Amino acid sequence: MIGCYVTGILPRPKELVEATRAYERRRIGEEELEKAFKEATIKAIEAQLSAGLSYITDGMLKWQDLLRPFTDNLEGIKAGALARWFNNNTFYRKPIVQSEIRHKKAIVTGLAYLEYLPKGVPWKVILPAPFTLARLSENKFYKNEGELMFSYADVLKIEIESLTGMGFKYVQLSDPALVYNPLKEPISGDTLADVKEALKIVVKNGNVRTCLQTFFGDFSQILPEALDFPVDDLGIDLYETSLEKLEEHAFNKGVALGLVDARSSLIEDENELFTVAKELIESIYPSKIHDVFICPNCDLEFLPWERAEEKIRVISRVAKRLKAELGIHG
Amino acid sequence: MDKLFPTQEIGSLAKPAWRVKGYRGEPLSESEIAEAIDWGQRLGIMGVDELVKILKKKERTPEDRRAILEWSAKFAIRFFENAGLDIVFDGEQWRSEMYEHVIRNVEGFKFLGYVKSFDYRYFNKAACISKPKYTKPFYVEEFAFTCKNTDREVKVPFTGPYTLVDWTFNEYYERRLSGKIKDFKQRKLEARREFLFDLIKEVVRPEISRLVEAGAKWIQIDEPAATTNPSSEEMELFVEAFNETVKGFNCTFSLHNCYSNYEVLAKYAAELRNCSQLALEFANRDSRQDGTGEVRVGYRELRLFEDYGFKGNYGLGVIDVHTDFIEPPELVRDRILHAAKIVGDSSRIHVSTDCGLRTRTWDVSFAKLKNMVLGAELARKALT
Repeated sequence: MIGCYVTGILPRPKELVEATRAYERRRIGEEELEKAFKEATIKAIEAQLSAGLSYITDGMLKWQDLLRPFTDNLEGIKAGALARWFNNNTFYRKPIVQSEIRHKKAIVTGLAYLEYLPKGVPWKVILPAPFTLARLSENKFYKNEGELMFSYADVLKIEIESLTGMGFKYVQLSDPALVYNPLKEPISGDTLADVKEALKIVVKNGNVRTCLQTFFGDFSQILPEALDFPVDDLGIDLYETSLEKLEEHAFNKGVALGLVDARSSLIEDENELFTVAKELIESIYPSKIHDVFICPNCDLEFLPWERAEEKIRVISRVAKRLKAELGIHG
Repeated sequence: MDKLFPTQEIGSLAKPAWRVKGYRGEPLSESEIAEAIDWGQRLGIMGVDELVKILKKKERTPEDRRAILEWSAKFAIRFFENAGLDIVFDGEQWRSEMYEHVIRNVEGFKFLGYVKSFDYRYFNKAACISKPKYTKPFYVEEFAFTCKNTDREVKVPFTGPYTLVDWTFNEYYERRLSGKIKDFKQRKLEARREFLFDLIKEVVRPEISRLVEAGAKWIQIDEPAATTNPSSEEMELFVEAFNETVKGFNCTFSLHNCYSNYEVLAKYAAELRNCSQLALEFANRDSRQDGTGEVRVGYRELRLFEDYGFKGNYGLGVIDVHTDFIEPPELVRDRILHAAKIVGDSSRIHVSTDCGLRTRTWDVSFAKLKNMVLGAELARKALT
């Protein structure tokens, strides 16, 4: 199939931005804030539905950062100081791991608006991957980063089982830290082998489609090892990845192509996106084309709402055209 | 400056309610007006009744608003002078904010709206939609006013081009290269490069030129975004941008950068040409115990700048601007002495706050600056 979906936190629409600012200044209370979140969530879902995306998220508008639900709800962790979110002018709270990590209560559903997700369309949930969780944490308890990553994998498994039970059909694990590598240090084979083992734990018994979504870095660095990761789809940030190097490999599983740039307000030229995607698909699938998802390269929250909404429509139109011209159904 | 350990601030000071609301034309409460009277007395400012008259008006004319701007600048200048600083400016009272002030005064930009910074904090982000065009000076009036109102040495804070570009969507240049460079990553980098050097040529250098003509002797280039992207391509771009910005002017330049990756910055600092000073944030990283040596954990990275061969001065951050803790003079002294020992040449240390004081109240800022000045005096005594 050729599908499309979003890959992260959506921006808060203007009304919600204003409500959260008013709340910070104590001009409105919890109730009014909650109402603003609900209305914005309906808007975020409607934007995805009307564009005809293959999987729908609730927009993740309450997520203060990708890690925060875990930082706030896992036993053994407390929220630390603000730290820069990769090479962006945005910040996250560093999880400080103080004791053994345990899954004590539901993590995502405390923030998610399941009641607004429509029944007729499959739901997608987005979670941090174990490697990114470990890399971005301050580890004061486990022997090393590897041990911490496996501990995160255990709690992710529990969380995913519970989310699958609620009806989610697609789980994206966001793993920017795996490819963000500005100083170009080599990623060791041992690390990639450990990442694979941790992913195995996370998706074990999962009756759900999975994707490891990478962004902010060059996906080709983790090839060919990533082709063996136990996930259905691999997500690639095409604004950070060398197309030439990517095309040297034949893929044996699905891909999520980060074809629109969520860190640029410029609305892309659809003809160009179509051409780039088509060439890439034909090149990485020399014999049999696997499933392809057209998506933003990372969280759309880097944009004001209107631009994000427009980019959602772009991914949908490009996916439709690819479907028609490559003669793929479904 | 001949004096050992001269003292300076970095730039911004909080804007009093009377400045913000007064300028917007909003009504002021009695306590807000009383704040102006109170600080006017404390700072020995003459003729504050004139200001109060304007603040009490129901409707304010453009001349009133302009007067409020000038009053607030005068208050801030006296504030720094009274605290005892050797090098002063107007606390950036003239500017809305370091980013918006420039973008709003230059052609080619459009604000697109608020994007998340963290939690419920956002910033108004602009896009470059056409080639940046310089239409009018945006720092010169403020500089001239400051000079007229002080006898102390003046340093002009100037938002750097690399940061302006990093904080702005780059629509115009990305669109221009659309279809011309196939690889998206290379295209973005090239578009960024073109944006940056056009901005320097069309806007930044013309403004510096006006400042120098108006008599500016020292311009501090503020680049908080310098190490946001620590890759070698980006760091080289940053260095090239700084060098191009300051090239050929008969003026002293310095660089301010804070809350950044100093391991990365240190590697490139020696390549900054005509950079007489690096004003860096250290106090925020440091312990609060007195003493020199190992206890001064926050100043570890200073050594890196030395090891990589930076030869200029340091604007040594000895005051943490993110806490109300008032650093005792002894702590300030020990931070200075510790740094002087690392650098091995006391004349290369200027005493400074970590960053602008805009998030602290005037009371806290004043107490902090006074102690900074006392600490510098203690450090001078310790060495003579």
